[in-house]
Amino acid sequence: MSALQLAFVTFFGLAAVWFALVVFRTSSMMRSALALLFSQTALGALFLALQAEFLGVLQIMMMATEMSIMAIFMVMFMMDPGGLGQMDMTHQKRLSIVAGVVAAAVVAVVAVLTPWGAPATSIPNPSEQLQGLGRELLGRSMLVFETAGITILTAMVAATAVAMPALQRRRER
Amino acid sequence: MSVLAPILALLLLAWCVAVLDAWMTTGRFRPLAPLTATLALVAGESLVPRKPDRLFFETAPILLLLAAVLAAAALPIAPHLVITDLATSALFVNAALAYVLVALLMAGWGPDGAYAMIGGWRFLGQTIAYSMLIVMPITAVAMRAQSLLTTDIVRSQAGLWNVLYQPLGFALFFVAAMAVSFLPPFDLPTASGELAGGVEAEYTGARRAIFRLGRTILIVSLATATTVFYLGGWLGPWLPPWLWSALKTLAVAAAMLAAGHAVPRLREAHLLAWAWKAGIPLAMLNIFLVGVLLLVIP
Repeated sequence: MSALQLAFVTFFGLAAVWFALVVFRTSSMMRSALALLFSQTALGALFLALQAEFLGVLQIMMMATEMSIMAIFMVMFMMDPGGLGQMDMTHQKRLSIVAGVVAAAVVAVVAVLTPWGAPATSIPNPSEQLQGLGRELLGRSMLVFETAGITILTAMVAATAVAMPALQRRRER
Repeated sequence: MSVLAPILALLLLAWCVAVLDAWMTTGRFRPLAPLTATLALVAGESLVPRKPDRLFFETAPILLLLAAVLAAAALPIAPHLVITDLATSALFVNAALAYVLVALLMAGWGPDGAYAMIGGWRFLGQTIAYSMLIVMPITAVAMRAQSLLTTDIVRSQAGLWNVLYQPLGFALFFVAAMAVSFLPPFDLPTASGELAGGVEAEYTGARRAIFRLGRTILIVSLATATTVFYLGGWLGPWLPPWLWSALKTLAVAAAMLAAGHAVPRLREAHLLAWAWKAGIPLAMLNIFLVGVLLLVIP
Protein backbone atom coordinates (compact mmCIF):
# COMPACT_ATOMS: atom_id res chain seq x y z
CA MET A 1 0.00 0.00 0.00
CA SER A 2 1.49 3.33 -0.99
CA ALA A 3 1.86 6.20 1.48
CA LEU A 4 -0.76 8.23 -0.35
CA GLN A 5 -3.20 5.33 -0.28
CA LEU A 6 -2.58 4.86 3.44
CA ALA A 7 -3.20 8.57 4.02
CA PHE A 8 -6.56 8.37 2.20
CA VAL A 9 -7.56 5.18 4.02
CA THR A 10 -6.75 6.81 7.37
CA PHE A 11 -8.60 10.02 6.45
CA PHE A 12 -11.78 8.29 5.31
CA GLY A 13 -11.63 5.85 8.22
CA LEU A 14 -11.44 8.71 10.71
CA ALA A 15 -14.21 10.57 8.84
CA ALA A 16 -16.44 7.48 9.08
CA VAL A 17 -15.83 7.24 12.84
CA TRP A 18 -16.40 10.98 13.34
CA PHE A 19 -19.73 10.99 11.48
CA ALA A 20 -20.77 7.87 13.39
CA LEU A 21 -20.17 9.80 16.62
CA VAL A 22 -22.16 12.78 15.30
CA VAL A 23 -25.17 10.45 14.88
CA PHE A 24 -25.43 10.28 18.68
CA ARG A 25 -24.22 13.78 19.49
CA THR A 26 -27.12 15.54 17.78
CA SER A 27 -30.79 15.62 18.76
CA SER A 28 -31.98 16.52 15.28
CA MET A 29 -33.31 13.43 13.50
CA MET A 30 -32.38 14.88 10.13
CA ARG A 31 -28.80 15.62 11.17
CA SER A 32 -28.52 12.21 12.78
CA ALA A 33 -29.73 10.38 9.65
CA LEU A 34 -27.52 12.34 7.30
CA ALA A 35 -24.51 11.94 9.62
CA LEU A 36 -25.03 8.19 9.33
CA LEU A 37 -25.23 8.61 5.56
CA PHE A 38 -21.93 10.49 5.45
CA SER A 39 -20.34 7.91 7.73
CA GLN A 40 -21.34 5.23 5.20
CA THR A 41 -20.22 7.41 2.27
CA ALA A 42 -16.82 7.78 3.95
CA LEU A 43 -16.66 3.96 4.16
CA GLY A 44 -17.46 3.84 0.43
CA ALA A 45 -14.62 6.26 -0.24
CA LEU A 46 -12.39 4.07 1.94
CA PHE A 47 -13.24 1.09 -0.29
CA LEU A 48 -12.33 3.21 -3.31
CA ALA A 49 -8.99 4.06 -1.67
CA LEU A 50 -8.46 0.31 -1.15
CA GLN A 51 -9.04 -0.20 -4.91
CA ALA A 52 -12.30 -2.10 -4.39
CA GLU A 53 -13.99 0.07 -7.00
CA PHE A 54 -17.33 -1.65 -7.49
CA LEU A 55 -17.90 -2.09 -3.76
CA GLY A 56 -17.06 1.57 -3.13
CA VAL A 57 -19.31 2.98 -5.83
CA LEU A 58 -22.16 0.66 -4.82
CA GLN A 59 -21.85 1.67 -1.16
CA ILE A 60 -21.83 5.39 -2.04
CA MET A 61 -24.87 4.94 -4.32
CA MET A 62 -27.07 2.71 -2.16
CA MET A 63 -26.63 4.59 1.10
CA ALA A 64 -27.82 7.95 -0.26
CA THR A 65 -31.35 6.73 -0.96
CA GLU A 66 -31.54 4.33 1.98
CA MET A 67 -30.52 6.85 4.61
CA SER A 68 -32.81 9.52 3.12
CA ILE A 69 -35.73 7.12 3.42
CA MET A 70 -34.69 6.37 6.99
CA ALA A 71 -34.62 10.12 7.64
CA ILE A 72 -38.27 10.58 6.66
CA PHE A 73 -39.33 7.73 8.98
CA MET A 74 -37.29 9.19 11.85
CA VAL A 75 -38.88 12.59 11.29
CA MET A 76 -42.36 11.05 11.08
CA PHE A 77 -42.17 8.89 14.19
CA MET A 78 -40.13 10.96 16.67
CA MET A 79 -41.90 13.50 18.84
CA ASP A 80 -39.24 16.18 18.43
CA PRO A 81 -37.62 15.63 15.03
CA GLY A 82 -35.81 18.97 14.98
CA GLY A 83 -34.25 18.37 18.40
CA LEU A 84 -35.21 21.91 19.41
CA GLY A 85 -37.61 21.03 22.25
CA GLN A 86 -34.90 19.90 24.71
CA MET A 87 -36.69 16.59 24.86
CA ASP A 88 -34.81 13.47 25.92
CA MET A 89 -35.54 10.85 23.30
CA THR A 90 -33.22 8.17 24.70
CA HIS A 91 -34.30 5.19 26.75
CA GLN A 92 -32.79 2.01 28.27
CA LYS A 93 -29.44 3.72 28.50
CA ARG A 94 -27.64 1.15 30.61
CA LEU A 95 -28.83 -1.78 28.49
CA SER A 96 -27.75 0.03 25.30
CA ILE A 97 -24.29 0.74 26.70
CA VAL A 98 -23.82 -2.89 27.74
CA ALA A 99 -25.09 -4.17 24.39
CA GLY A 100 -22.83 -1.74 22.52
CA VAL A 101 -19.72 -2.69 24.47
CA VAL A 102 -20.42 -6.42 24.13
CA ALA A 103 -21.05 -6.14 20.38
CA ALA A 104 -17.85 -4.12 19.88
CA ALA A 105 -15.88 -6.68 21.89
CA VAL A 106 -17.31 -9.56 19.83
CA VAL A 107 -16.39 -7.81 16.58
CA ALA A 108 -12.88 -7.09 17.86
CA VAL A 109 -12.39 -10.71 18.97
CA VAL A 110 -13.61 -12.03 15.62
CA ALA A 111 -11.32 -9.61 13.76
CA VAL A 112 -8.28 -10.67 15.79
CA LEU A 113 -8.94 -14.41 15.92
CA THR A 114 -9.95 -14.98 12.28
CA PRO A 115 -7.15 -16.51 10.22
CA TRP A 116 -7.16 -13.97 7.37
CA GLY A 117 -4.35 -15.64 5.44
CA ALA A 118 -1.46 -13.84 3.78
CA PRO A 119 -2.29 -10.33 2.53
CA ALA A 120 -2.83 -10.11 -1.22
CA THR A 121 0.24 -8.91 -3.04
CA SER A 122 -1.49 -7.85 -6.26
CA ILE A 123 -4.96 -6.50 -6.86
CA PRO A 124 -6.85 -7.47 -10.04
CA ASN A 125 -7.74 -4.44 -12.13
CA PRO A 126 -11.28 -3.05 -11.72
CA SER A 127 -12.77 -4.68 -14.83
CA GLU A 128 -11.39 -8.07 -13.77
CA GLN A 129 -12.92 -7.50 -10.33
CA LEU A 130 -16.28 -6.83 -11.97
CA GLN A 131 -16.03 -9.97 -14.08
CA GLY A 132 -15.07 -12.03 -11.05
CA LEU A 133 -18.01 -10.62 -9.11
CA GLY A 134 -20.40 -11.49 -11.94
CA ARG A 135 -19.15 -15.07 -12.06
CA GLU A 136 -19.45 -15.34 -8.28
CA LEU A 137 -23.04 -14.02 -8.33
CA LEU A 138 -24.10 -16.48 -11.02
CA GLY A 139 -22.07 -19.36 -9.66
CA ARG A 140 -21.29 -20.40 -6.10
CA SER A 141 -23.25 -17.56 -4.42
CA MET A 142 -26.27 -17.65 -6.72
CA LEU A 143 -28.55 -19.44 -4.28
CA VAL A 144 -27.66 -17.10 -1.41
CA PHE A 145 -28.28 -13.94 -3.42
CA GLU A 146 -31.42 -15.16 -5.14
CA THR A 147 -32.87 -16.27 -1.79
CA ALA A 148 -32.10 -12.88 -0.29
CA GLY A 149 -33.63 -11.13 -3.30
CA ILE A 150 -36.84 -13.16 -3.16
CA THR A 151 -37.08 -12.62 0.61
CA ILE A 152 -36.83 -8.84 0.19
CA LEU A 153 -39.39 -8.90 -2.62
CA THR A 154 -41.76 -10.94 -0.45
CA ALA A 155 -41.32 -8.47 2.39
CA MET A 156 -42.09 -5.57 0.04
CA VAL A 157 -45.25 -7.22 -1.26
CA ALA A 158 -46.32 -8.08 2.29
CA ALA A 159 -45.69 -4.53 3.53
CA THR A 160 -47.75 -3.13 0.65
CA ALA A 161 -50.54 -5.59 1.41
CA VAL A 162 -50.54 -4.50 5.06
CA ALA A 163 -50.75 -0.84 4.01
CA MET A 164 -53.61 -1.36 1.54
CA PRO A 165 -56.59 -1.33 3.96
CA ALA A 166 -55.45 2.02 5.42
CA LEU A 167 -55.19 3.44 1.92
CA GLN A 168 -58.68 2.16 1.07
CA ARG A 169 -60.11 3.75 4.23
CA ARG A 170 -58.57 7.08 3.29
CA ARG A 171 -60.07 6.87 -0.20
CA GLU A 172 -63.52 6.19 1.19
CA ARG A 173 -63.36 9.18 3.48
CA MET B 1 -5.53 20.05 -18.59
CA SER B 2 -7.48 16.84 -18.95
CA VAL B 3 -9.77 18.00 -16.14
CA LEU B 4 -10.00 21.62 -17.22
CA ALA B 5 -11.32 20.97 -20.73
CA PRO B 6 -14.37 18.91 -19.67
CA ILE B 7 -15.20 21.40 -16.88
CA LEU B 8 -15.09 24.29 -19.35
CA ALA B 9 -17.22 22.29 -21.78
CA LEU B 10 -19.70 21.66 -18.97
CA LEU B 11 -19.92 25.37 -18.12
CA LEU B 12 -20.31 26.30 -21.79
CA LEU B 13 -23.11 23.77 -22.24
CA ALA B 14 -24.77 25.01 -19.05
CA TRP B 15 -24.65 28.54 -20.50
CA CYS B 16 -26.34 27.32 -23.70
CA VAL B 17 -29.01 25.44 -21.73
CA ALA B 18 -29.74 28.53 -19.62
CA VAL B 19 -30.13 30.65 -22.77
CA LEU B 20 -32.34 27.97 -24.35
CA ASP B 21 -34.52 27.76 -21.25
CA ALA B 22 -35.00 31.53 -21.13
CA TRP B 23 -35.69 31.59 -24.87
CA MET B 24 -38.38 28.91 -24.56
CA THR B 25 -40.04 30.49 -21.53
CA THR B 26 -39.95 34.16 -22.47
CA GLY B 27 -39.71 33.92 -26.27
CA ARG B 28 -36.72 36.29 -26.32
CA PHE B 29 -33.26 35.17 -27.43
CA ARG B 30 -30.74 36.85 -25.12
CA PRO B 31 -27.31 35.17 -25.27
CA LEU B 32 -25.95 37.32 -22.42
CA ALA B 33 -28.85 36.66 -20.05
CA PRO B 34 -26.95 34.08 -17.88
CA LEU B 35 -24.23 36.67 -17.23
CA THR B 36 -26.62 39.45 -16.24
CA ALA B 37 -28.74 37.07 -14.16
CA THR B 38 -25.66 35.81 -12.31
CA LEU B 39 -24.43 39.33 -11.68
CA ALA B 40 -27.83 40.35 -10.39
CA LEU B 41 -27.95 37.36 -8.02
CA VAL B 42 -24.37 37.62 -6.78
CA ALA B 43 -24.61 41.37 -6.23
CA GLY B 44 -27.90 41.02 -4.38
CA GLU B 45 -28.30 40.37 -0.69
CA SER B 46 -28.13 36.70 0.37
CA LEU B 47 -30.54 36.38 3.28
CA VAL B 48 -30.41 33.69 5.95
CA PRO B 49 -33.84 32.71 7.27
CA ARG B 50 -34.65 32.80 10.96
CA LYS B 51 -33.56 29.69 12.94
CA PRO B 52 -32.07 27.71 10.04
CA ASP B 53 -30.16 24.46 10.25
CA ARG B 54 -27.17 26.48 9.11
CA LEU B 55 -25.00 23.50 8.18
CA PHE B 56 -27.61 22.02 5.82
CA PHE B 57 -28.62 25.43 4.50
CA GLU B 58 -25.07 26.25 3.43
CA THR B 59 -24.14 22.76 2.22
CA ALA B 60 -27.20 22.04 0.05
CA PRO B 61 -26.46 24.26 -3.00
CA ILE B 62 -22.81 23.19 -3.03
CA LEU B 63 -23.73 19.51 -2.75
CA LEU B 64 -26.21 19.85 -5.63
CA LEU B 65 -23.49 21.41 -7.79
CA LEU B 66 -20.98 18.76 -6.72
CA ALA B 67 -23.36 15.88 -7.50
CA ALA B 68 -24.10 17.29 -10.95
CA VAL B 69 -20.42 17.80 -11.77
CA LEU B 70 -19.46 14.35 -10.46
CA ALA B 71 -22.16 12.72 -12.60
CA ALA B 72 -20.70 14.47 -15.64
CA ALA B 73 -17.16 13.47 -14.60
CA ALA B 74 -17.71 9.86 -15.66
CA LEU B 75 -19.27 10.75 -19.04
CA PRO B 76 -17.01 11.10 -22.09
CA ILE B 77 -17.31 14.09 -24.45
CA ALA B 78 -14.80 12.63 -26.93
CA PRO B 79 -12.76 9.37 -26.89
CA HIS B 80 -10.16 10.78 -24.48
CA LEU B 81 -12.03 13.78 -23.13
CA VAL B 82 -13.38 12.37 -19.87
CA ILE B 83 -12.43 13.35 -16.32
CA THR B 84 -12.31 9.86 -14.78
CA ASP B 85 -12.45 6.65 -16.78
CA LEU B 86 -13.63 4.30 -14.02
CA ALA B 87 -14.37 0.65 -14.79
CA THR B 88 -17.77 1.17 -13.14
CA SER B 89 -18.47 4.61 -14.60
CA ALA B 90 -22.06 3.85 -15.66
CA LEU B 91 -22.78 2.95 -12.04
CA PHE B 92 -20.82 5.95 -10.79
CA VAL B 93 -23.11 8.31 -12.74
CA ASN B 94 -26.01 6.88 -10.82
CA ALA B 95 -24.14 7.10 -7.50
CA ALA B 96 -23.50 10.80 -8.08
CA LEU B 97 -27.14 11.41 -9.04
CA ALA B 98 -28.28 9.85 -5.76
CA TYR B 99 -26.75 12.84 -3.96
CA VAL B 100 -29.12 15.21 -5.78
CA LEU B 101 -31.73 13.78 -3.44
CA VAL B 102 -29.55 14.39 -0.37
CA ALA B 103 -28.89 17.98 -1.50
CA LEU B 104 -32.59 18.69 -1.98
CA LEU B 105 -33.50 17.13 1.37
CA MET B 106 -30.92 19.39 3.01
CA ALA B 107 -32.24 22.41 1.10
CA GLY B 108 -35.74 21.45 2.25
CA TRP B 109 -34.91 20.94 5.91
CA GLY B 110 -32.23 23.64 6.28
CA PRO B 111 -34.15 26.92 6.06
CA ASP B 112 -36.92 25.91 8.53
CA GLY B 113 -39.65 26.98 6.12
CA ALA B 114 -42.88 25.18 5.26
CA TYR B 115 -42.65 25.47 1.47
CA ALA B 116 -39.04 24.33 1.39
CA MET B 117 -39.80 21.41 3.71
CA ILE B 118 -42.70 20.16 1.58
CA GLY B 119 -40.57 20.53 -1.55
CA GLY B 120 -37.72 18.52 -0.05
CA TRP B 121 -39.87 15.61 1.08
CA ARG B 122 -41.71 15.62 -2.22
CA PHE B 123 -38.44 15.00 -3.99
CA LEU B 124 -37.87 11.95 -1.81
CA GLY B 125 -41.13 10.49 -3.13
CA GLN B 126 -40.14 11.49 -6.63
CA THR B 127 -36.83 9.62 -6.21
CA ILE B 128 -38.68 6.46 -5.28
CA ALA B 129 -40.59 6.85 -8.54
CA TYR B 130 -37.68 7.54 -10.89
CA SER B 131 -34.65 5.75 -9.42
CA MET B 132 -35.49 2.29 -10.80
CA LEU B 133 -36.17 3.86 -14.21
CA ILE B 134 -32.62 5.22 -14.23
CA VAL B 135 -30.89 2.02 -13.09
CA MET B 136 -32.81 -0.58 -15.10
CA PRO B 137 -32.37 1.06 -18.55
CA ILE B 138 -28.65 1.56 -17.75
CA THR B 139 -28.49 -2.18 -16.98
CA ALA B 140 -29.78 -2.98 -20.47
CA VAL B 141 -27.30 -0.54 -22.02
CA ALA B 142 -24.43 -2.15 -20.08
CA MET B 143 -25.66 -5.59 -21.19
CA ARG B 144 -25.21 -4.66 -24.83
CA ALA B 145 -21.78 -3.09 -24.25
CA GLN B 146 -20.79 -5.96 -21.92
CA SER B 147 -19.13 -3.28 -19.83
CA LEU B 148 -19.92 -0.56 -17.31
CA LEU B 149 -17.29 1.69 -18.88
CA THR B 150 -19.02 4.66 -20.51
CA THR B 151 -16.46 4.84 -23.31
CA ASP B 152 -17.13 1.15 -24.10
CA ILE B 153 -20.86 1.89 -24.06
CA VAL B 154 -20.39 4.56 -26.75
CA ARG B 155 -18.18 2.24 -28.84
CA SER B 156 -20.79 -0.54 -28.62
CA GLN B 157 -23.18 1.72 -30.54
CA ALA B 158 -20.93 2.10 -33.60
CA GLY B 159 -23.20 -0.15 -35.68
CA LEU B 160 -26.57 0.97 -34.38
CA TRP B 161 -27.39 3.58 -31.77
CA ASN B 162 -29.13 2.34 -28.65
CA VAL B 163 -32.07 4.64 -29.29
CA LEU B 164 -32.97 2.30 -32.18
CA TYR B 165 -31.69 -0.90 -30.55
CA GLN B 166 -33.67 -0.37 -27.34
CA PRO B 167 -36.18 2.46 -27.91
CA LEU B 168 -38.18 1.43 -24.85
CA GLY B 169 -35.16 1.92 -22.59
CA PHE B 170 -34.51 5.30 -24.20
CA ALA B 171 -38.06 6.50 -23.58
CA LEU B 172 -37.96 5.40 -19.93
CA PHE B 173 -34.51 6.88 -19.31
CA PHE B 174 -35.47 10.17 -20.97
CA VAL B 175 -38.51 10.59 -18.74
CA ALA B 176 -36.59 9.51 -15.62
CA ALA B 177 -33.78 11.96 -16.48
CA MET B 178 -36.35 14.77 -16.59
CA ALA B 179 -37.57 13.65 -13.15
CA VAL B 180 -34.04 13.64 -11.70
CA SER B 181 -33.42 17.20 -12.83
CA PHE B 182 -36.92 18.15 -11.60
CA LEU B 183 -37.88 19.70 -14.91
CA PRO B 184 -41.58 20.27 -15.61
CA PRO B 185 -43.83 18.25 -15.48
CA PHE B 186 -41.79 16.70 -12.63
CA ASP B 187 -40.91 20.00 -10.91
CA LEU B 188 -42.61 18.89 -7.70
CA PRO B 189 -39.84 20.09 -5.33
CA THR B 190 -39.80 23.63 -6.72
CA ALA B 191 -43.36 23.83 -8.13
CA SER B 192 -43.58 27.49 -9.03
CA GLY B 193 -47.12 28.81 -8.63
CA GLU B 194 -47.91 26.24 -5.97
CA LEU B 195 -44.99 26.02 -3.53
CA ALA B 196 -43.54 29.45 -4.31
CA GLY B 197 -40.24 27.89 -5.32
CA GLY B 198 -40.23 25.06 -2.75
CA VAL B 199 -36.66 24.03 -1.93
CA GLU B 200 -35.42 27.13 -3.74
CA ALA B 201 -37.78 29.52 -1.97
CA GLU B 202 -35.55 30.57 0.92
CA TYR B 203 -32.36 30.94 -1.12
CA THR B 204 -31.40 34.40 -2.30
CA GLY B 205 -28.34 36.09 -3.72
CA ALA B 206 -25.12 34.14 -4.21
CA ARG B 207 -26.53 30.96 -2.60
CA ARG B 208 -29.38 30.97 -5.12
CA ALA B 209 -26.87 31.51 -7.94
CA ILE B 210 -25.00 28.35 -6.88
CA PHE B 211 -28.29 26.44 -6.60
CA ARG B 212 -29.32 27.54 -10.11
CA LEU B 213 -25.88 26.70 -11.53
CA GLY B 214 -26.06 23.25 -9.94
CA ARG B 215 -29.51 22.64 -11.39
CA THR B 216 -28.47 23.79 -14.87
CA ILE B 217 -25.35 21.60 -14.81
CA LEU B 218 -27.55 18.74 -13.61
CA ILE B 219 -29.69 19.15 -16.74
CA VAL B 220 -26.52 19.15 -18.87
CA SER B 221 -25.20 16.03 -17.08
CA LEU B 222 -28.42 14.15 -17.68
CA ALA B 223 -28.58 15.24 -21.31
CA THR B 224 -24.96 14.07 -21.70
CA ALA B 225 -25.86 10.77 -20.03
CA THR B 226 -28.75 10.30 -22.48
CA THR B 227 -26.39 11.08 -25.36
CA VAL B 228 -23.72 8.66 -24.13
CA PHE B 229 -26.10 5.82 -23.31
CA TYR B 230 -28.51 6.08 -26.25
CA LEU B 231 -27.39 8.49 -28.99
CA GLY B 232 -23.92 7.18 -29.69
CA GLY B 233 -22.04 9.83 -27.71
CA TRP B 234 -19.31 11.34 -29.88
CA LEU B 235 -20.01 9.04 -32.87
CA GLY B 236 -20.93 10.74 -36.14
CA PRO B 237 -19.51 11.57 -39.56
CA TRP B 238 -17.62 14.71 -40.76
CA LEU B 239 -17.69 16.82 -37.60
CA PRO B 240 -15.11 16.39 -34.79
CA PRO B 241 -16.22 14.05 -31.95
CA TRP B 242 -16.56 16.74 -29.27
CA LEU B 243 -18.85 18.79 -31.52
CA TRP B 244 -21.11 15.80 -32.10
CA SER B 245 -21.33 15.26 -28.33
CA ALA B 246 -22.12 18.93 -27.73
CA LEU B 247 -24.77 19.10 -30.46
CA LYS B 248 -26.49 15.90 -29.34
CA THR B 249 -26.40 16.99 -25.70
CA LEU B 250 -27.95 20.35 -26.54
CA ALA B 251 -30.60 18.68 -28.67
CA VAL B 252 -31.52 16.33 -25.80
CA ALA B 253 -31.61 19.22 -23.33
CA ALA B 254 -33.83 21.22 -25.70
CA ALA B 255 -36.13 18.23 -26.10
CA MET B 256 -36.37 17.86 -22.31
CA LEU B 257 -37.19 21.54 -21.85
CA ALA B 258 -39.70 21.52 -24.72
CA ALA B 259 -41.42 18.36 -23.48
CA GLY B 260 -42.02 19.99 -20.11
CA HIS B 261 -43.74 23.00 -21.62
CA ALA B 262 -46.46 20.88 -23.20
CA VAL B 263 -47.48 18.80 -20.17
CA PRO B 264 -49.18 19.82 -16.90
CA ARG B 265 -47.42 19.06 -13.60
CA LEU B 266 -47.95 15.53 -12.30
CA ARG B 267 -49.24 14.81 -8.84
CA GLU B 268 -46.92 12.91 -6.53
CA ALA B 269 -49.28 9.93 -6.12
CA HIS B 270 -49.90 9.72 -9.87
CA LEU B 271 -46.18 9.88 -10.59
CA LEU B 272 -45.51 7.02 -8.18
CA ALA B 273 -48.38 4.97 -9.56
CA TRP B 274 -47.25 5.41 -13.17
CA ALA B 275 -43.62 4.71 -12.35
CA TRP B 276 -44.31 1.52 -10.41
CA LYS B 277 -47.26 0.10 -12.31
CA ALA B 278 -46.14 0.95 -15.84
CA GLY B 279 -42.50 2.08 -15.73
CA ILE B 280 -40.86 -0.76 -13.86
CA PRO B 281 -42.62 -3.60 -15.76
CA LEU B 282 -41.69 -1.88 -19.03
CA ALA B 283 -38.07 -1.54 -17.85
CA MET B 284 -38.09 -5.29 -17.04
CA LEU B 285 -39.49 -5.99 -20.50
CA ASN B 286 -36.71 -3.84 -21.98
CA ILE B 287 -34.02 -5.84 -20.18
CA PHE B 288 -35.66 -9.07 -21.37
CA LEU B 289 -35.91 -7.89 -24.99
CA VAL B 290 -32.30 -6.72 -25.03
CA GLY B 291 -31.25 -10.06 -23.56
CA VAL B 292 -33.12 -11.95 -26.29
CA LEU B 293 -31.67 -9.67 -28.99
CA LEU B 294 -28.16 -10.23 -27.64
CA LEU B 295 -28.61 -13.99 -27.72
CA VAL B 296 -30.34 -14.11 -31.13
CA ILE B 297 -28.17 -11.61 -33.03
CA PRO B 298 -24.50 -12.49 -32.58
